[in-house]
Amino acid sequence: MDDPSQIARRVVIGFGDAANLPEDDQLPTESMPLNMGPSHPAMHGTVRMVLEVDGEKIRSVDVQVGYLHRCFEKEAENATWTQIFPYTDRLNYVSPMLNNVGYALAVEKLLDIDKKIPERAQFIRVIVGEISRITDHMTCLAASAMELAAFTVYFYLMKAREWLWELLEELSGARLTHSYVRIGGVVADLTDDFCPKLRDILRRCRATIADVDKMLTSNRIFRDRMDGIGIITRDDAIGWGLTGPVGRSTGLDYDVRKDHPYLVYDRFDFDVPVGCKGDNFDRYAVRVEEMRQSMRILEQAMDLLPAGPVLLDDARVALPPKREVYNTIESMIAHFKLIMDGIVVPPGEIYSFTEGGNGELGFYIVSNGTGQPWKCRVRPPCFANLAVLNKILPGLFIADLVPTFGMTNMIGGECDR
Amino acid sequence: MADERAPSAPRANVKMVIDGQAHEFPAGLTILEACQRVGSKVPFFCWHPGLSAPAVCRQCLVEIKGFPKPIPSCYTPVADKMEVVTNSPKALDVRRQMLEFTLLNHPIDCPICDKAGECMLQKHYFDWDARVTRNDGGKVHKAKVVDVGRHIVLDQERCILCSRCIRVCSEVARQQDLVMAFRGDRQLLTTAPGQRLDNPYSLNTVDVCPVGALTAKDFRFSMRAWELWATPSVCPGCATGCNIEIHAARNVIQRLVPRLNPAVNKYWMCDEGRMTYKRVHYNRLVSPMVAGSPASWDAALAEAARLLGQARDKSPATLGVVLSAQLTNEDFFAISRLAGEHLRTERVYLAGAGEGWCDDILVSADKNPNTTGAKLIGGLSLRTAAELKQDLETRVLTALLLVGEVDAVAPLDWLPTLVVLASQQGPPVAAAAVALPLAMWAETEGSFTNRQGKVQRLHAAIAPAGQARPGWEIAARLGRALGATWTYADAKQVFGEAREKVSLLSGAEWGKPEAPVQLRFANSRG
Repeated sequence: MDDPSQIARRVVIGFGDAANLPEDDQLPTESMPLNMGPSHPAMHGTVRMVLEVDGEKIRSVDVQVGYLHRCFEKEAENATWTQIFPYTDRLNYVSPMLNNVGYALAVEKLLDIDKKIPERAQFIRVIVGEISRITDHMTCLAASAMELAAFTVYFYLMKAREWLWELLEELSGARLTHSYVRIGGVVADLTDDFCPKLRDILRRCRATIADVDKMLTSNRIFRDRMDGIGIITRDDAIGWGLTGPVGRSTGLDYDVRKDHPYLVYDRFDFDVPVGCKGDNFDRYAVRVEEMRQSMRILEQAMDLLPAGPVLLDDARVALPPKREVYNTIESMIAHFKLIMDGIVVPPGEIYSFTEGGNGELGFYIVSNGTGQPWKCRVRPPCFANLAVLNKILPGLFIADLVPTFGMTNMIGGECDR
Repeated sequence: MADERAPSAPRANVKMVIDGQAHEFPAGLTILEACQRVGSKVPFFCWHPGLSAPAVCRQCLVEIKGFPKPIPSCYTPVADKMEVVTNSPKALDVRRQMLEFTLLNHPIDCPICDKAGECMLQKHYFDWDARVTRNDGGKVHKAKVVDVGRHIVLDQERCILCSRCIRVCSEVARQQDLVMAFRGDRQLLTTAPGQRLDNPYSLNTVDVCPVGALTAKDFRFSMRAWELWATPSVCPGCATGCNIEIHAARNVIQRLVPRLNPAVNKYWMCDEGRMTYKRVHYNRLVSPMVAGSPASWDAALAEAARLLGQARDKSPATLGVVLSAQLTNEDFFAISRLAGEHLRTERVYLAGAGEGWCDDILVSADKNPNTTGAKLIGGLSLRTAAELKQDLETRVLTALLLVGEVDAVAPLDWLPTLVVLASQQGPPVAAAAVALPLAMWAETEGSFTNRQGKVQRLHAAIAPAGQARPGWEIAARLGRALGATWTYADAKQVFGEAREKVSLLSGAEWGKPEAPVQLRFANSRG
């Protein structure tokens, strides 16, 4: 056995023995695998990244998704068309209304009733959708700012988000999982004081966003962590199928609301902000500006909001009023058939896409003419947005991963379905 | 001219147009049947493919060019140069108006109605009308619970007066049990004076009732129809072998309904046959028994093989095998093989349920579903139940393997060796040294051969009760315990071998696997 005093002096570096190193040489470095997530505070949304790090530098990344897989698409095949709404709430769960609307539009196109949806219902869908877009962006900015130690911003934005969610809770009965939209319109009209309340909330939100802007946009620490980090080129954005704020930060001027208007978006005056560098700061700035543009849309929508029904008057699509169900055989039968057999959607397939919180949210639906979809595929925008991390993270520091990942706004429910 | 009209003269085809498409049909077809052939949808309540057409519901009205009024298509034969439009605004509108009449006094019963989910009124309203009510007055009320027969309750409010049930009674059961009384919105269905709806085919009225007016006492309020899973099968009630669907939910059979087979039972089955499912859930032997106590399959099989082997080695002439005519072809074949090759006995008896009543409609006197199959497989050496009785009384037999349900022939408890394969508890099981639980007809794949010699498939609708296993499987395992080198993987393999060995079965087909279908998504219903 070795002399104990000799063993104590033995120093090991990497796989090498320090004693064997030439004296004037550099210390050898070897890459090291490092697991971040799935249970890691910065990996919100439950995702795992297997990093190969060289010291503090990231050499390569393997983004592994699927930890929040809930069989959305398979479940949808075993539910009636209407029963799928609660599942869509749980896709991007910080902007459920946008998912509700996107799914409803797809089914309505298959049913060929998309042009017949009452105007008021379309306006309401725009209003709740834009509120959701604001809450989506607030969540993204708040979480990312917090991860860069700007805790105040987090609380400011969460408070503002809660004002909006409380309003949606008043409207739908649920703070987060609204299930408010129906095929053919929305389930109920706006509450009486919805618009005055929303105007007041928007006034307060504007002030909050101005505060956040002041605290972050010219903040040295924040800018150092965001500027020039995680650059994506416009070509890459097109190549990787990036959409939404991530795609637009690269200068890619694509917004489904502008380029393929749906609902009544073509009636509103709003701008689509785009970035110029494609770095994390651009993604931040695009989101801040988009919230302001959403508020513009909201104010116009409230001004133009027409009167009228909020659900299509068609017994084969929309549930009749309860009073009729209990008192007439006709409505009773319609109710029974819609609940038990589901809406009968003619055979066919459709790809319908809308601008979700994170970009192009698509539903590819195939019907075989029964009360359930034969296939209900979702194109989750943040799935593509997340995939590009494999390309842009190598070369950055581990610390840069946090804001870069935060700015993709990966939402597990949507990405993993 | 007279010659041309004679039924034997070949009839020319009819060339006509339906919904703008030219078609050719054999003469004598009704317009409704012609429309069904070419896929033009026309709704109907009173018409039924197995019954005459009175054209009372006016739900199948179509427009015919040159006719002043819409014409009931169920009643009108096709004719040359006819131009039929099934979906013109006028045709759709008159049908809607007729439906509105039907709905006017219909009670708001869907949530409590047995027919909901398979109701033709619901279906037609949803498919063809879907408009809100214009009735701002009340509804005419009639009796809601009329006990019209042994098996049936009538709700007169729900009746839409289509008269299908009246025609089932008169045309299928050949009895005039039901009639219409009164007129207009007071018209109602009732039993004829002094009559009850007690004919042996009364439950067919429940099947044909398009709404929930006639409901079966047996099924009433027991299960929502759309929750049921349907499996095609064959009725085990008698040698006729009516084709049926087993409707089950959560591993419990809820009802049997007839399935169309033009060569056997058409659209119908008898009331007695519908109740045969009760035995599947009644008094079952659920575990192997050795000397009256539950045992494992391995232990029970070993003991059975030991007893039977001993009896065989001592004196094969006193060892008998009794096979029930209620067993499937596959069970019968496998156990016959066991008896011949490994028990080496020639005393194979065919027993079963005794004779019963019969008619010239569907019911056979032979209450066993597979007597024909048993005789085909067993051949001429099969002994009868009378011989069994005699051999037991004269004590020629000292050891017995009894398979399946058999009417009591003689006391068995004195037998030194008795091994029983049975589905039900009873005296044979109580007397047996070893009793093995046998799966029943609704629990296994297999086939019955009916009185016409048709081999008809059974499909498993539910899992076997407790530890019960199909007869062919028990035979194979007993065979192995007695030194056999053969075994069977499934009933299909037994069937294939039986078809090779039994020349009279050589034309039979096993058919395709049939997965149960939940009625909710079986589009044809309601």
